[in-house]
Parts: sequence; C-alpha cells; structure tokens
Amino acid sequence: MANLTQSTASRLARRIGDRGPVREFLMFALAGELYGVELTRIKEILSPPPITVVPRAPHNVIGVCSVRGLLVTVLDLRRTLNLEERTLTRRGRILLGAAESGEVIGLLVDEVKHVVRLAANEIEPAATALGGDVSEFVMGIGRPAGEFLILLDLPSIVSG
Amino acid sequence: MAELSDKAREEFFSEAQEIIETLSRNLLSLDTTIKAGTSDPSLINEAFRAVHTLKGLAGLFGAARLGALSHRLEDVLDDLRLGRIELGQEVLDVLFGAVEAYTRILQAEKADSDEELDVEQLFVDLERIGASATEHESPVAGYELDPGLLAVLTEYEEHRLRANIELQMQLYRLRVQFDLSTIDKVLEEMKERAKRHGEIITYLPTGEATSADTIELDLLMASRDDLATLIGSLGADNVVIEEIPRRARHSATPGTLPPRRPTALGRTDSTGMHGDLERGGLDQAVSLRSLTQTVRVDIRKLDHLMNIVGELAIVRSALGRVAEKLRGEGQRKLAAELQRLHRNFDRRLGEMQDGILEVRMVPLGQVFDRLARVVRQISREVGKEIRLVITGAETEIDKLIVEELSDPLMHMIRNAIDHGIEVGQRRVEVGKPLAGTIALNAFQKGNHVMIEVEDDGRGIDLTGLTEKAITLGKLSRSEAQEMSRDEVLALIFLPGLSTRQVADDVSGRGVGMDIVKTNISKLGGVIDVHSESGIGTKMTITLPITLAIVSALLIQAGQHTLAIPLSSVSEAIAFDEAAVRLVDGREVITLRGQTLPLCRLDRLMALEPAPNLASRRRFVVVAALGQRRLGLVVDFLYGQEDIVIKPLGKSLSAVRGFAGATELGDQRVGLVLDAAGLIEEALAGLDAPRNLERASG
Repeated sequence: MANLTQSTASRLARRIGDRGPVREFLMFALAGELYGVELTRIKEILSPPPITVVPRAPHNVIGVCSVRGLLVTVLDLRRTLNLEERTLTRRGRILLGAAESGEVIGLLVDEVKHVVRLAANEIEPAATALGGDVSEFVMGIGRPAGEFLILLDLPSIVSG
Repeated sequence: MAELSDKAREEFFSEAQEIIETLSRNLLSLDTTIKAGTSDPSLINEAFRAVHTLKGLAGLFGAARLGALSHRLEDVLDDLRLGRIELGQEVLDVLFGAVEAYTRILQAEKADSDEELDVEQLFVDLERIGASATEHESPVAGYELDPGLLAVLTEYEEHRLRANIELQMQLYRLRVQFDLSTIDKVLEEMKERAKRHGEIITYLPTGEATSADTIELDLLMASRDDLATLIGSLGADNVVIEEIPRRARHSATPGTLPPRRPTALGRTDSTGMHGDLERGGLDQAVSLRSLTQTVRVDIRKLDHLMNIVGELAIVRSALGRVAEKLRGEGQRKLAAELQRLHRNFDRRLGEMQDGILEVRMVPLGQVFDRLARVVRQISREVGKEIRLVITGAETEIDKLIVEELSDPLMHMIRNAIDHGIEVGQRRVEVGKPLAGTIALNAFQKGNHVMIEVEDDGRGIDLTGLTEKAITLGKLSRSEAQEMSRDEVLALIFLPGLSTRQVADDVSGRGVGMDIVKTNISKLGGVIDVHSESGIGTKMTITLPITLAIVSALLIQAGQHTLAIPLSSVSEAIAFDEAAVRLVDGREVITLRGQTLPLCRLDRLMALEPAPNLASRRRFVVVAALGQRRLGLVVDFLYGQEDIVIKPLGKSLSAVRGFAGATELGDQRVGLVLDAAGLIEEALAGLDAPRNLERASG
C-alpha cells in the first residue's frame, strides 16, 4: 500500500511537473460533505472500538477508548464543526492523530473515502475562498477534478 | 556538552545528581557536628572525594561549567581537610551555595542551555575562602621522626599528624610483622583496636621482612594513652611498640617538612599494598567507577512494563473465562488443566507486578535530605535557630510521588519556620527551648504513606485567620461565629490567606497552602491540619504508596462502570432510601452513630440512568480520606480488581472528578473516580469554602 502510494505519487509528480508541490489528503465524508486532512497528520484509521463517555467533558469530546493499551480521546468532528448530529453507521471510522501535547486524539467521521493528491494550485486558501470570517479549523478548499473538498487543519482541531 | 548518546547522558546526570546529594548530606552532617562543637575529619574527606569524583565525571563528559565549579570547590575542600582553613558557619554557607549552584548547572546542562548562570558571587566567595588558607608552622619538627617517613606522608596524613600533635597526643611507632596472606584483615583489626586509644596515621614497610611470607610495617600512631596501656592492649609477639621521643627544643629543625618524594617507596612496591598508588592514585581510579551494582532506569520504561502487566491481567481474566466455559461444556479434564495453568499464570503475574512496583519505590529520605538543606538555609536567613528532627526517612513511596512532594513539603516547612516558630527571645519568655523544633515524620499505614510536618511554634492564630477571611470577603461575621474549630483551621487552604500582615521573602504572600493542597490532591492525597495555640501546628499528608497499579472497587453508576481506588474506600453498605435525612438541604445518613454526608454519583455527574437497575437495591460506598468521609450512592458493586490507571489526555484535564481511566477487558475502558476530588467537591458546602460562591457571586 505504502509503496503503491509512493510510486503513484512520484508518477503523478512527474506528470504535473510545474503545478507546484503536491500534498496528499485523506478524503472523508461528514454530514453529506467531503472533507480532507493532510495524510501525514493521520497515524491510523480504525473501526470505532467501544467508546466510554466521559461525563462533564467538553461538548465536542465523546469520550475515551483504548487502542492496544493506549488511551485515546475521541472527538466528534460533527460537534466540533457545528454540524447536525447523527448516529454512526457501520461505515463510521476513527482517524487517529497526535496533538502537540503528545495526547492521541481520535476523530470520528462518517466514512473514509480515499487519498487525493492536490497540487498547490488546486488549493484555495480559506481566507481567499471564504472571506476573513472563516473558522480556524478550515485551512482551505481543495478542488481535485470536479470535486469540492473542505480541507481541515488538524493541529488546530486536536489542540482546540 | 560534547556529543553523547542519550543513554550516556542520562547516566551522567543521574550519577552527578547522586554525588551532589551525597555532598549535600555530608555538609549537613558537618553542620550538625559543628553545632555540637566537635569535628569529624572523615566527613570533610568524603565531601572532598565527592567533589573530586564529580570533577572527573565533568571532565569525561565535557561539562565545562560543572568542571570549573568542582575545581574551585575541590581546592577549598582540600584546604579544609588539611586544616588550612577553619570550618565555620560562613564557610559552610558558601559550600551550601555551591550545592545549589551545582543543581542549577545540572538543570541547565540537562536542558542543553548555555544560559548565563549567576555563579560569579560564589566563585568570588570560594576564592576569598581559599585565600584565607594559612600554612601552619610545622609542630612535627618537635619529634624524633624518621625523615624518610615524613617524606612519604600524604598531605592528608601530614595534616592528621599535625592535628594530633596539636591535641597533645603522644606519638608511637608500632613495628609489626604481618603474614602476607592475612595482612589486609589483620591490619584492619589493628586499626580498629587502635581507635580506642587514638589514631593510626600511616604505615610503611620497613623492608626488613624475616621471611618471604611476612612483611614488616612501621605504624605511626597517635594516642593519649601511655606506652604501658598500649602494650597491654595492642602488644603481641609480632608487635613492638616504642614511644617516639620529643626533640629537645634547641635542636628543633626549623621550617616545614621535607619535600615529598613520589617514588619514595619504590623498593617495596612489589608487595602491592602500600605506596602512593595505593593511597592516592588508585583511589582516584576507583572512584570514577560506579560503586554499586545498580542500573538506572527511566521511570517511563517501568510504566511501560506496568502497562504490559495490566494487559496480561486482562489475558488472565479471559483465560479464566475460557476455563469456566470448558467446564460448562462438560470438558472437565481440559478445564481442570487450563484452570491449573491459569492459577500458575495468576501467581507469577502477581509476583511480576510486585517486582515492578518494588523497583519504583524510593525512600522518602531523598526528598527529606533536600528539605534539611532548606531548613538550614531559611533558619539562617530569618535568624531563628531550628532543630530538624527526621524520622522514617526510610519509608518508601513511588518515585513519581517523591518528585512531586518536594515543593509542597518545602512550602509547609517554610511556613512552619516563618509563621510557626517564634523568634528566639519570645520562645525563652514563654518557657520554650531557644531552638525551635520541626519534626518531619514519615510512616506507612496500610497502603498509605503518612507524612507529618510538626512544629513547636505559636500555633495558628484562629482569630486572626477568621478576621482575615472576613476582610477578604470570603466569610461573613455571622458565618464565622457558627464555624467549628476545624472549619476555621481549614481556612488556611483558601487562596490568598496568610496570617502575616507583611509579605516576606520566605513564605511569600500566603499563596502557599492552597497550592500545597492542590498539589497533594493531584497525587491522590489529602492534607489535614491540627493546631494548638502556643503549642504548635501539625500538618498531616496522607498519600497512596503508588500511582502505578491500584486495587479498585468496580461499581456501576447510571450506565457507567466506574472504578474507585480501594485505598480511599473504607466500606460499602446497602443503601436504605428511607434512612436518608435532609440537613440544610444536604442528604445524610447515620452510620454507626456518625453523620455521613451522601453524594449521588448519577446526579452529581448527570449520568444517564440505568433502567434495568432502577428497581434494584442500591449501595453506599463510603469514601474516606484523612478525616473526611463521603457516602457515594451507586447502583451496583462488581467487586475488587487491580487496575492500571492511565491519565486522561490534556483535552480532558479540566474535567473534575476523575483520576484517569483503566481497561476493563473486552476492549472497554472504565473511568476511575478521583476520590479526593469528589470528597472535596461534595463536601465543599460543609467545609469553610462554602461561602466562596456567595462571596464572589
């Protein structure tokens, strides 16, 4: 998998040549929209293990779960982004990322799609695309061939 | 610092740290001996060796600042042990300053920081002390000593010789034949026996052995006893004792000892048990090696091992279930076999767990030593004489807890010296001894460690404390009148309260005790205070022995399975709704004649109710810490289990009431209740801080 991605990426890089550096984003669905986070920020994708609700936790925290002995704080990305809540389907996944503090954070998403590669000229910075008032969590809009991708800034989500 | 592997660096730091702690202990002992009006040359000698070793270590690791300080300090200590400088409080102050400087330098090195450390004044002080060194005129010249002997004395031996002569000791020469095979033992015994009469200063081979298996040594001894006594005590066939006569005054050779000849003993070096190499050179080589058979381990590695033990415990439970299942399916033989394996596994796992826990344990003496230094320093600063009495320094507690204890304890001791102990004159007036006593006691009680900080000072001024709380708006006058004595005492844990009107360097502005309390609670402990006016104050800290693995009671509250550390549970009883009484809007029950405040966990935490359990019988788990008790109303008791507590992540750090989480098996995670925090929260209305909300809102 890793080899494949790498060789594809390098082939792609050759093809696009002068379109600026290419970054890989993991695409996922959330409340009917497509989102992306930079692939290097994601350590692992999991089927949700049983999650223990933590009473009194901040609103966007669902609870904690254990991943091979490691305690993970699980955030509901819908709540973080103020989207309507819905119960998970079996396609629901948890994306594992690390906060700067070393805390491992899990992000609950509806469905994981695939990896897209975006050249610099395929990314609109958030301020340009959406004006100055945009949420700190959105870093831009990605437009790979005919699609519309909301690119999220993982560090500010997991540290928020 | 030079390029080093992380491991080597770690080694270096912990070794340096250990040496500095040894040095600090030596200085403290010296302080005690000086106050008692005596002196112990071996202490100075040990301090000298510690610094010498540190210098070598710093050289090896290219730690220039550490090396520079050690170099200067070594010179001063050398002058001290050779008696060129008089050891007094002022000199000790500078030496303690050096210990502090070492600590700062080590921290800077550790952080790889090149930041300028303010050690200039220390260097100036060391220089000044060094400059005061005086060369004694040699009293040794007054004795008929063999110049050959004098030539090979080490500087230290020379100093001891002088010191003994100054003490009017008589010098003797003991010519002794030793058997080569037993000389080590016999010589040690001889030295030991000689101690009763004086001191053996040096020994030298005479080179006149009577056979190949023997060796003849001249022992130079100083003693206050006369020749006959010595012969009676030390005399034997192979021992000839002679008194070394004093020289007639006029023939005394002026000046100092003959110059030292490093190779003076060349002719008998083949015996290998004396000479310069033995006494000086070898010493230095040996001291660079670790003396103990220990490894230093990063505590995170132990945490990792403990986590694995936790995982194995889950495997163990699963094994037990499989065995049960097999039995249920009629596979008796297989089930019995598995059961046997399971028991064996269980036992070994228990041993392993105990072993790892034991490794994490360190004696409290580590932090007490540091405190002793602080006491000395503060008592000199504020001009109060303090006697620190430490008991139970050998009590062991989790390394992580020890690390976190030093700040709270330091603050309590500062408070005791500053606010507790009266100034000397006042003490004498009320008939107390001039020197104030601070007792630091530690002992184990069940699976808790208790630490007491007790002073014999004036006690806490209850009226002053109440007035201050009223002035600060934390309390109304009518509320103050209703408060019990303990409630008033608990006021000292409110932020911003200090009975001192003027803030000072030592205890600051009364920001201390609330922070002390918070820090102790973070470790799962509580702090209680007792005080008698005019007699003293005693603060008692109750702490769990370890944070790594704890026995816990698993309970159900609402839909949650929760763990409560057993260390904070005193008992569990059936809950009788009808026995609940309302007092001032609070639910209480009566347990064996005492009022027990209740806390319904599901309400406090707003837990979703567990419908299937609603009609069932409920329970009260009595949480007790220190003197406080709280009844937690829960839905079900599952029983006891050993759990590994993992801290909740940073994003949940603001959530109160939980000490962490633990794995329950079958992938589920259970939250661990923070008993100290819950008691605090639920009893907030019963303790003094009840009025906080009213006052601030």
